[in-house]
Amino acid sequence: MAAMIGSADLQQLLARVALGDRTAFRQLYDATAPSLFGVALRIVRQRDRAEEVLQDAFVNAWNRAAGYQAALSQPMTWLTAIVRNRALDELRSGARHSADSLEDRESAAAHEIEDERPGPLGLLEQAADALAIRDCLDAIDGVQRQCLALVYYHGLSHSEVASHVGSPIGSVKVWLRRGLEKLKRCLQSLA
Amino acid sequence: MNYDRPELLDRLAAEYVFGMMSARVRRRFQTIQRALPAARQAVQAWEQQLTPLARSVPTEQPSAAVWDAIDRRTGGRSSRPVAPASAWLAGTARLAWLKPVLGVAFGVAATLGLVRLYPTAVVPVDEIVQERGTLPASYVGLLTDAANNPVVLASSTRHGKTMSIKILRKVDVPPGKVLQLWALPKDGVAFPLGVVPAEGKGSFQMADTSERLLSSVPRLAVSIEDTPARAGTSPAPYLLTGNCVKLW
Repeated sequence: MAAMIGSADLQQLLARVALGDRTAFRQLYDATAPSLFGVALRIVRQRDRAEEVLQDAFVNAWNRAAGYQAALSQPMTWLTAIVRNRALDELRSGARHSADSLEDRESAAAHEIEDERPGPLGLLEQAADALAIRDCLDAIDGVQRQCLALVYYHGLSHSEVASHVGSPIGSVKVWLRRGLEKLKRCLQSLA
Repeated sequence: MNYDRPELLDRLAAEYVFGMMSARVRRRFQTIQRALPAARQAVQAWEQQLTPLARSVPTEQPSAAVWDAIDRRTGGRSSRPVAPASAWLAGTARLAWLKPVLGVAFGVAATLGLVRLYPTAVVPVDEIVQERGTLPASYVGLLTDAANNPVVLASSTRHGKTMSIKILRKVDVPPGKVLQLWALPKDGVAFPLGVVPAEGKGSFQMADTSERLLSSVPRLAVSIEDTPARAGTSPAPYLLTGNCVKLW
């Protein structure tokens, strides 16, 4: 993620963006867009929709740059949150792309898990490794972990997760809530 | 639901950031975030905790068209007209010195683009600037919607009682309802300033001068109300919010 440029550099770029510096804005885009586009693409699953999400997110970042508070969050965390929020809104809106049915999304999710690079669970495990919380994550029940990964990385709704794992929606809601509680504790142990 | 309970807000914030909410619940919680600073803070805290999970997602290269569109939408090179109207350009040049002032003051970099796009929106200032070459001491508020689109520009000279309103983006107001502008004092309860139009320009007389009403008001907000609000009434959830700054 933004491998070529450190967090301090991104902070400087954001500070310049806040003053309306377009060169800095372009540099910020070049440094972060591939990571952020990856995040958006996982959630909305279509390149054109993910590109719209990325576009809206950067326009939003330009507008809000002056409100960015370095003391409160890392630049990449701030930008990722903007992209994820926009991607989730886009996914949940359902206003367009109605042909993108639940079945399509599920089969796309299943397909991706089978053959594409890491599936959602793999991504969650990699993230846990990177954050050194893998032991804590592994202690979470397997089905809870899988549900969490499907929601976080693919943005699946409760009913989509239920259909995907072949369990009643009520169980999925309980698993997700318990899983999130445990994951929160894992992440809090970092602080 | 009682949103004053910190543990409830904390759980909802975690579910929101994680992506567990349906469209309807998401929208409702976004409204709550706009009205309740504690909800916003809970969301920010969870963004800090959960967003590092996204780091494992492989990178993907977007097409070059994405940057072009961003550049155009933020007022960059791709957005400049080929043969701009000379009057428009003159207006822009005249107010060029305003850009850094407004940019910092609003805390919204978009303001820079906004002043370029709507040089006369900072009026009644524009003509005065032309005459005197200086900006009169004013209070200015830029209110944005949930997606951070600038929607309402409110301005009033420091010792004047007239609040000038420019609507930058039409607001959908249900029939029979009004758009109420509120002042949100630093330490205190929101109080009504006046009713703003859903589109175009407008103005209203305030109960007192800007200086007396707004000197300790860092934020403004707009809500949809059944009737123009009176002093002492509580606002409906805010539709638009923004900073209110002194320009002098």
